[in-house]
Amino acid sequence: MTDTGNCILCGKCMEVCPLLRASGQEELSPRAKANLSALLASDIEALQEKDAAELAGLCLGCGRCKQKCPQGVDVPALVADLRGKHPGFRGWLWNKWLKHARELWPSTSLAARLIPSGMQPERLSPFLKAMQLLKSGNGLKPFVRIKTLPKNHAGTSMMLFSGCTARYVRPEWQHTALDLLSRLGIDVVKGKFGCCGMGLECAGFQTDAAQMRDTNVLAWRKAGKPKIVTLCASCHKGLAEYSKNFEDAVEARQWIEALTPISRLVLQGCYVLTPQAPEWIGYHRPCHMQHQDTDHAFLSAVLGEKLLEPDDRQCCGFGGVMQLGSPELCTQVNERCWQSLDGADTVLTGCSACVAQLAASAPENIQVGHWLEILDLEDDA
Amino acid sequence: MNTRELTRPQKQFLSGVFPEEDCLLSPERMAAFSTDGSRLRAMPLAVVRPENSEQVSELLRWAHNERMPIYARARGTGTVGNTVPVQPGIVVSMLRMDRILDMNQSDFVAEVEPGMVTADLQAAAAAKGMFYPPDPASSGFSTVGGNVSTCAGGLRAIKYGVTRDYVLGLEAVLPGGRILQTGGRTHKDVVGLDLTRLFAGSAGKLGIITRLTLKLLPLPEATASLLAGFCSINAAMDGAAAIFQAGILPSALEFMDRSTLNALREAGSSPLPDTVQAALLIQTDGSEQGVALGLNRLESALKRVTPERLLIGRGADEKQLWDVRRSISPASFKLRPDKMGEDIAVPRGKVASAVEAVHEISARLNLPIMCFGHLGDGNIHVNIMHNASWPEELAHAQQAKEEVFRLALSLGGTISGEHGTGLTKAAFVDQQLGSNEQDVMTGIKHVFDPHGIMNPGKGW
Ligand SMILES: Cc1cc2nc3c(=O)[nH]c(=O)nc-3n(C[C@H](O)[C@H](O)[C@H](O)COP(=O)(O)OP(=O)(O)OC[C@H]3O[C@@H](n4cnc5c(N)ncnc54)[C@H](O)[C@@H]3O)c2cc1C
Ligand code: SF4
Ligand code: SF4
Repeated sequence: MTDTGNCILCGKCMEVCPLLRASGQEELSPRAKANLSALLASDIEALQEKDAAELAGLCLGCGRCKQKCPQGVDVPALVADLRGKHPGFRGWLWNKWLKHARELWPSTSLAARLIPSGMQPERLSPFLKAMQLLKSGNGLKPFVRIKTLPKNHAGTSMMLFSGCTARYVRPEWQHTALDLLSRLGIDVVKGKFGCCGMGLECAGFQTDAAQMRDTNVLAWRKAGKPKIVTLCASCHKGLAEYSKNFEDAVEARQWIEALTPISRLVLQGCYVLTPQAPEWIGYHRPCHMQHQDTDHAFLSAVLGEKLLEPDDRQCCGFGGVMQLGSPELCTQVNERCWQSLDGADTVLTGCSACVAQLAASAPENIQVGHWLEILDLEDDA
Repeated sequence: MNTRELTRPQKQFLSGVFPEEDCLLSPERMAAFSTDGSRLRAMPLAVVRPENSEQVSELLRWAHNERMPIYARARGTGTVGNTVPVQPGIVVSMLRMDRILDMNQSDFVAEVEPGMVTADLQAAAAAKGMFYPPDPASSGFSTVGGNVSTCAGGLRAIKYGVTRDYVLGLEAVLPGGRILQTGGRTHKDVVGLDLTRLFAGSAGKLGIITRLTLKLLPLPEATASLLAGFCSINAAMDGAAAIFQAGILPSALEFMDRSTLNALREAGSSPLPDTVQAALLIQTDGSEQGVALGLNRLESALKRVTPERLLIGRGADEKQLWDVRRSISPASFKLRPDKMGEDIAVPRGKVASAVEAVHEISARLNLPIMCFGHLGDGNIHVNIMHNASWPEELAHAQQAKEEVFRLALSLGGTISGEHGTGLTKAAFVDQQLGSNEQDVMTGIKHVFDPHGIMNPGKGW
């Protein structure tokens, strides 16, 4: 049970909540969620537990408030707790989506059939569109050629944690990653990784998430605890938050040290832009990029002045399970995000959920993709 | 008369003027509006969210007729309970009115709606080379409307003054629905009584501010800071005196006493040696050359009073020095789990006596009490740390608070320099304000709000 007693209602977390900023609705702020959760724990009779849980559940899970709180209050965890107790149909639906990504994601029509008839499908359209675009999109036209790659990793063994999106919806990300790893001279160890579990955890499915975590840690152990290369900031954060699955503190530290964003491996390489490179490129920093942002470091080294300064306050508005509960609020957050990307012809990011959300909502003539898509691996310089 | 529940026509009126999400009636949604930084609590009858002054006017016409208490609320970061609806009434959340209406580089004026977050205004001004100086520590998460209504102060008050010094004019809606326009875009205006200033610090007791005209300055090019550690509080005061004697007006001049430094040490956030018993944190701003010169002069002025340690910060190092100041609040809880945070102010020359007297109270009542704050304007944050679950310590903390207030008044000061009185200090107002003064204030309020519906139940 997450501790709710520490919130002193100071309001510092309100500085960073993208949902509060976009909506002006204080009842959606992280402080309001911490307050509701404390009130529920103290058995205030006036509150309907279900309604309170549903309200607190309107949260993008971006985790910004947790970073800001001087009292260590973990609002997204409080929200997950409340969702866990009152899963309702939305959580159920999300669970289905994630657990059976392989069957569901390639077919949006199947996904549409899962929506209970009481729910208006058009309210879900941005989410479905995201899925559809992920499936059908051709990705960006590559415009960066590799001249040289660093040699310092050659001969080491690593595992690739592709994540659900790269595995089932955008296999080309996985191909690019594997190709890069092989060019770096890295020996890719095979292992059976599942989903990182973060989406499930946030949606309140703690037991399922714990299972995923066990599977992943076991796979890593079996492979001899090599480095784990990640492609997606959210998966990376999800993995970095594993805490209970280890034999001891030493193993827990080994796990954290093993996690390696793929951009860190290619940072020291030499790259050239092809004439197809767009004029202005925006970068969306994922909310879950809470480790050192080597994606951005890589892009600014490669793209130089073409890369516009990112606005760190924006969330793409994906929101996970909230997308199913209140797509309108997600859209408001998303609109702010696009305002901050004004001037870019192409927008790059390093999180699969952000790619989905931004691609589905992009203004006309603006391309969106994972930054891996800009690498031209067909034709070496 | 107002009862504990709204009648059906009352609800119909509110949801008619404030459609859908802008009229909240369920306790789950209203819970967020029942409390604020004071952690006191009372459930409102309804919460409404206006988007324009016409809606506010319609609401206040109705509330005036219905004798319905009205509580304006911005981000609810006030620490004295000023937004808590202690008498059943309607909370008016101003966060939807958060636009910049105009930001003018030739007039050096910004026109904004009151729900705008202060730091957002500062960033927008800075993008145009302009500067909005008032800087309460809560500037990132409180609003200009809230800041004006509490007359918020901050670190830069010593050089730039407090929020009221930047309000040139405003629009406010009064009970009955009248819309009042005061002041304007000129930096000088002596026609009529100064109604604009009356709203600064009025804590939502006169009307609801719907638009503000604010004064801006050119943005200083650079800043630099110094952290100086001394062997006693008196030595630190000598340091401050040396700065003023050298003819320097710093842009911030903060002090920390030994309990504050102890708490910082315990939290591992103090860069100063254990011999240091008091510290000054000083900032200077201006042009690049001016700041370099100012820093030199500050350094030589301070060296004359032989500090134990002198640390200089520019660029990223400067932030580290200010991180020490920012760590005080979290570090304080290393001493005790609960805090009574008072913000007395005394004349600048009396700060040392005040701090010494507080230390005496602290020793006598056996409670850790931290003094730190804005030396430049005599505003001392007195944090009475205690464990509220021990009845004896709670009683001592309460006694300490009363003694601290009496102390401030005996030194010619005030029981609150920044936060106001609201609920937590209402009982002490009589000690500071005489009956004549309070009668005049009541008379003035009556002109604006004849039925007393604006933020009832709070102290002056
Ligand atoms: C961590 C922390 C640090 C702080 N630091 C400082 C500091 O350095 N200096 C300082 O002075 N204060 C400080 N405060 C206190 C608080 O932030 C200020 O009082 C701030 O001005 C309140 O702004 P708000 O937007 O939260 O307003 P609220 O708390 O919502 O409202 C404050 C008062 O203004 C009234 N009000 C709000 N909007 C309107 C309107 N449009 N029309 C009429 N009345 C209105 C309300 O009724 C209430 O009486 C701090 C608080 C915290 C939690
Ligand atoms: S959650 Fe943390 S930051 Fe937010 S109001 Fe509570 S204590 Fe303050
Ligand atoms: S996780 Fe993000 S959206 Fe949710 S309350 Fe915290 S800051 Fe707001």
